[in-house]
Amino acid sequence: MKLAYYPGCTLHGTAREYDASTKAVSKAAGIELTEIEDWNCCGALEAIFDKELSMGLSARNNMLAQKTGLDLVVPCSICSHNLSRADKAMKTDEAFRAKIEKALGESYNGVKIKHLLDVMVNDVGTEALAKKFVKPLKGIKAVPYYGCLLVRPSEVSRFDNPENPTSLDNLIKATGAECLPFTQKTKCCGGNLLMSKQDYAFILTKKLFDEAKTAGANCIVVACPMCHMLLDGQQSMVEKAHNTVIGLPILYFTQLIGLAMGLSEKELELDKNMVSPKTLIESIGKQEEKKIETKIETKIENKAEPKAEEEVAE
Amino acid sequence: MIKTSELDPNFKYEIANEPGGENIKRCFNCTGCTVGCPVTDIDKGYNPRKIIRKALLGMRNEVLTDDSLWLCASCYLCYERCPQDVKITEVMGAIRAIAQREAKAGKIKLNNPKQLFDNLFIDSVKKNGKWYEAGVSGMFMLRTKGIGGVIGYAPMGMELFKKGKLSILPHRIKGKDQIKRIFEEVEK
Repeated sequence: MKLAYYPGCTLHGTAREYDASTKAVSKAAGIELTEIEDWNCCGALEAIFDKELSMGLSARNNMLAQKTGLDLVVPCSICSHNLSRADKAMKTDEAFRAKIEKALGESYNGVKIKHLLDVMVNDVGTEALAKKFVKPLKGIKAVPYYGCLLVRPSEVSRFDNPENPTSLDNLIKATGAECLPFTQKTKCCGGNLLMSKQDYAFILTKKLFDEAKTAGANCIVVACPMCHMLLDGQQSMVEKAHNTVIGLPILYFTQLIGLAMGLSEKELELDKNMVSPKTLIESIGKQEEKKIETKIETKIENKAEPKAEEEVAE
Repeated sequence: MIKTSELDPNFKYEIANEPGGENIKRCFNCTGCTVGCPVTDIDKGYNPRKIIRKALLGMRNEVLTDDSLWLCASCYLCYERCPQDVKITEVMGAIRAIAQREAKAGKIKLNNPKQLFDNLFIDSVKKNGKWYEAGVSGMFMLRTKGIGGVIGYAPMGMELFKKGKLSILPHRIKGKDQIKRIFEEVEK
């Protein structure tokens, strides 16, 4: 499978591990990615409210993708939303299309834009991917976090249920990891409140952490660099603001399936996550050994107890 | 107390003329947007239904200067659930665009730091074609929290730099002229 690739600004910056793991996992899944040339920022969350500007900036990328003759894959939920929204407007809004075609000096016929998760679970297919999983991720207890723009609005993103998506759940299960129920899976991480009201942003992020921990998770799996920025990059700030310890590794879904594919930690850039997933990765497959150890310890403790009582009695 | 003499009946049309604001008049005030809103969940003072209602009534100045306009997290939950397809998230954007113009013309004052960040971000995209993280974040910190803010952010910046996640210089694309023309066309 050949696809055009739009990484977006964050994947060349704070989310570089998402870029690296996307490339590594795609290669292993038989996808050939061609990065579109001279792409620009989609306007991100900063222009999302300035609809025409956001769509105009995004439309240039779609125009560049069109030249490759391939479908376009986007790993960032915000970029994916912005580019898809622009594609839709270019096809349905004549006045907008005329403006952009004039600005770019080219005509637009449309490009098929897909989020990377959509490509992995639907085009490659979860079952086909599972055949490439050589290392069962036993011991990983994950909650799937979809966030907002990956599944909403369904008018733009159609590949999963907007209220209760399951594609990421199924992918996690296919790796051999445990996928725990998570009612916060499509709740907002507070990303777009970081600059307008940081304390609110952190309350929303904290809610996600709280429920993940209550569910018994030892990591959160995401498919968006903005969600990752809040949950991973800002985790220490949330800890500070709420005077608490969270210590929860946040993995991109590409890092998770990469581990199951037996790819190296280096290829998946697992050392670039701000909250180190080292202990989590070391624990993979060791759960059963631990259980046995605990049983032995309990037996020894049981034996020791009566003796202690005797001592007290004396 | 709402004084009808101070209402601006044209405000709803003004919003409907902005990209994204087209469907505002469809709202029948069902509150579906507000009951699921994650921001309302933590701040009962934030009420998207009220913002739309006030806008439809014509409370122009009150809506444009309300800080809660900047608290929409753009999570699109209300957009997804609205039975009238008002496209509330985008209506918020349309109202913000009017507020930004009024502020630039010196008619109102906006206090939320978000609009400064967005403007710095968009300016950097206009100039480079990509956003310049170190420059925009540094300037934002300096202008909102002073030099102390920049120093406070420095450890986080250093950590990102060490991990190869932050570039000191901006990345510039070749097609900057096209970006410039896009800005010209959409600002017309």
